[in-house]
Amino acid sequence: MTVTDYFLPGSLSEALDLLGAHGPSLMVMAGGTVAMPLVNDGISLPGKVMGLRHAGLDDLREEGGGLYIGATVTLTRLLRQRAVPMLSEAARSTASWSVRNMATVGGNLFTPPPGGDVAVALLALDASVTLAGPAGTRVVPLGAFHTGFMTNVLQDGELLTGLRVPAVAGDTAYLKFGRKAANTPSVVTVAVRVARRGDTVTDARIALGAAGPHPLRAGAAERALVGSTLGPEVIEAVAAVAAEESQPFSDGVASEWYRRRMVRLFVTRALERIRQGGEGR
Amino acid sequence: MASVIVNFELCGRDVEVLVQPMATLQSVLRNQLGHTATKEGCRQGGCGSCTVLVDGEPMLSCLLPVEDVAGRRVTTLEGITPIDGLDPIQEAFLESNGFQCGYCTPGMVMVTRALLDHDPQPGREAIVEAISGNLCRCTGYQPIIDAIEKAADRLSGSGEQTGER
Ligand SMILES: Cc1cc2nc3c(=O)[nH]c(=O)nc-3n(C[C@H](O)[C@H](O)[C@H](O)COP(=O)(O)OP(=O)(O)OC[C@H]3O[C@@H](n4cnc5c(N)ncnc54)[C@H](O)[C@@H]3O)c2cc1C
Ligand code: FES
Ligand code: FES
Repeated sequence: MTVTDYFLPGSLSEALDLLGAHGPSLMVMAGGTVAMPLVNDGISLPGKVMGLRHAGLDDLREEGGGLYIGATVTLTRLLRQRAVPMLSEAARSTASWSVRNMATVGGNLFTPPPGGDVAVALLALDASVTLAGPAGTRVVPLGAFHTGFMTNVLQDGELLTGLRVPAVAGDTAYLKFGRKAANTPSVVTVAVRVARRGDTVTDARIALGAAGPHPLRAGAAERALVGSTLGPEVIEAVAAVAAEESQPFSDGVASEWYRRRMVRLFVTRALERIRQGGEGR
Repeated sequence: MASVIVNFELCGRDVEVLVQPMATLQSVLRNQLGHTATKEGCRQGGCGSCTVLVDGEPMLSCLLPVEDVAGRRVTTLEGITPIDGLDPIQEAFLESNGFQCGYCTPGMVMVTRALLDHDPQPGREAIVEAISGNLCRCTGYQPIIDAIEKAADRLSGSGEQTGER
C-alpha cells in the first residue's frame, strides 16, 4: 500500500476543492469495487486517494416521471427502487449481493467491458450524466460520455455527480447472458426499448454491453427497426444488423466469434420478449 | 506516511485503531484486532471469504478502507458466536456438513445472518442468489444450501421481515 493520504470529503464542493488542489494524481474512488482490487494487487499504486462515500452524492428520487440517481447510489438501492423496473433488473444482474452493497451506479460507467451492465440499461433509457468541475456543471448524454476503451469526456478536475433518467415511452427488455446464472461476467448484455404506434415502431433503442470498447448503441439496427412492424422476420433482420455492427472482443469469458453470435441471439430474444408483451418500463 | 485514528463499533464494542491511510477493514480486523474469522482469500472482491456486516448489510472487508466505516457498526463471525456453544446458523452448518476445510464458512455464515434478517424464510433460489458471491472449493454448495434452509426453518418466526435485499 503506497497511500499517504486518504481523503473522505463531506460535500461536493470539498471534493472539487481537493481535486483542484491535488490535480490528476488524486485517485477518485466511489464504491471501490473496481479500484480497490487494483490497489490490493499493486497494479495501481496511488499516493493520494479521495473516497466519495460521504460526499453527499447519494440522492435517489423520482423526478418528472423519471429518476435522478446520485453518482454514489449503490446498486442495492437501484435494485430496490420501483420507478424504473429495467434498472432494478440491471442491478440484480450485476455482481453479487455484497458487491452491490458497495458498488455505485456512477462507478459502473467507468467499469471496463465486460462490465458496465447497469450502463447498458441506462443507455437504452436515454440517461444523461451531470459532471461538475471548477467551471460549474454540464450535462452530457450518456451516449456521448464514453470515447473509447476506458476513456470518456470527464475532464481533469471534474467529478460525475449524478444521472438523470427521463420519462421515456415504450416497452423495455433487459437480458444479460453469462456463463453462470448469477454473479457472472457478461458474454453479452442487451437492453432494448421500443415505442410503437399501433403496430408501427416509432422509436427504438438497442444498447449492447460486452460488445465493444464500452457500452454502446447499435444505431444501424435501431434505424432498421424504426418504421417497421415488430414481427419475426424484422426481428431476425435487425438482430443480424446489430451483430454486424457490434465490436465484440475475446477474453477469458468468451471469444469475439461467440460474442457476435450471442449479440444476434440475445437481441432477437429481447425483441421477441417485447413483441410478446414487454416488461413494462 | 502519517497514521490516522479511526473509531467504529465492532461486535457491540467501541474500538479505536491507529491505521495506515486507506488500510482495508480486512487487514485491520485480522492484524490489529485479532478478528481472524474474517478470511483473506482473493482481496479482489471475488471470493466472499472476507464478508462482514456493516450496519447489518454484507460487505467485503478487503475492498473497504477502514476510514469508510468510522462511526458504523461492524459485525464479524466473532460477534455472532456465543461465548458457549454455537449460533443456530453455525449449528445448522455443522449438522448439514456445510463445510469441509472451513475457509469459506465465516463468509457464508455472515451472508446467511444478513439473509435471514431480511427474509426469514428464503426459498432455495433466494439462498443461491444470496451466496452467489461466496466461493466454496470443497462442498459443492448443496450442503451449504441445506444448512441455510435448516437454519431458516429453525429461526423463522424469531426474525423480522425487513423486505427485499
Ligand atoms: C466480484 C465482482 C463482480 C463484479 N461483477 C460485475 C458485473 O457483473 N457487471 C458489472 O457491470 N460490473 C461488475 N463488477 C464491477 C463493479 O462492481 C461495478 O461496475 C461497480 O458499479 C463499480 O462501481 P464502484 O463505485 O465500485 O467503482 P470504483 O471502484 O469506486 O470506481 C472506479 C473508478 O471510476 C471512477 N469514478 C467512480 N465514480 C466516480 C465519480 N463519481 N466521478 C468521477 N470518477 C469516478 C474513478 O476513476 C474510480 O477509480 C464486479 C466487481 C466485482 C469485484
Ligand atoms: S478476500 Fe475479500 S472477496 Fe476475496
Ligand atoms: S469448505 Fe472449503 S472452501 Fe468451503
